[in-house]
Amino acid sequence: MNEQRRQVLEMLAEDKITTDEAERLIDALGRQEPGPGPGAAPSHKPRPKYLRLLMLDNSADEPSRINVRVPLLLLRAGVQLTSLIPPQAVTRINAELDKAGVPIDLAELRPQQLEDLIDQLDDVTVDIDDADSKIQVFCE
Amino acid sequence: MIPQLVTLRYRSTGSRGLRLYVPVVPVVLVLSPLLLLAVLGGLVACPFFQVSPAGALRGTARLLWALPGTRIDLDDGQTTLLISVR
Repeated sequence: MNEQRRQVLEMLAEDKITTDEAERLIDALGRQEPGPGPGAAPSHKPRPKYLRLLMLDNSADEPSRINVRVPLLLLRAGVQLTSLIPPQAVTRINAELDKAGVPIDLAELRPQQLEDLIDQLDDVTVDIDDADSKIQVFCE
Repeated sequence: MIPQLVTLRYRSTGSRGLRLYVPVVPVVLVLSPLLLLAVLGGLVACPFFQVSPAGALRGTARLLWALPGTRIDLDDGQTTLLISVR
């Protein structure tokens, strides 16, 4: 936090300004802050390596916990294996999916599309917070 | 890199529990004759299922290479299971 923002917050804490005024001042300070210059190196966010699933359930007598960490590379490798599913198996899977009310044609699913899907997983965060349970899915 | 060590921990109320450390490379070396047979069997089976043998080998190798870092930790209060691949 820079010095000007701190001053605004201090003024707000001392009731010298109202919350609306503080918000306007902070907005104005945000607009004044220069963005990265044209010569500046682009900031590279480190790419996540793992997909993480955390679950905590307190609904039962004894709390249960699930903590799964899967490398994204493993997901990619698994996705590439889908191209090896025999055609007759694909037909049967499609029929069963259709019977279950999920009309997805696996033959239409290309590995490249699944790769793209995994690439976009980087930004996915699922956070479900219930009174008794908590589920988090994110990439790290 | 292929997995080096697989750790398996299982504990249940009323039992002593199990803790297993499996060094993958020595185990693979010891079981290599059997693995060779399994790979040959798989390669022979590939044409029957209209699967490319090279693709199957490549896919399996990729899967093995991607395994390190996997960690599955389950705890339901009475039973604890940990599988970790390093």
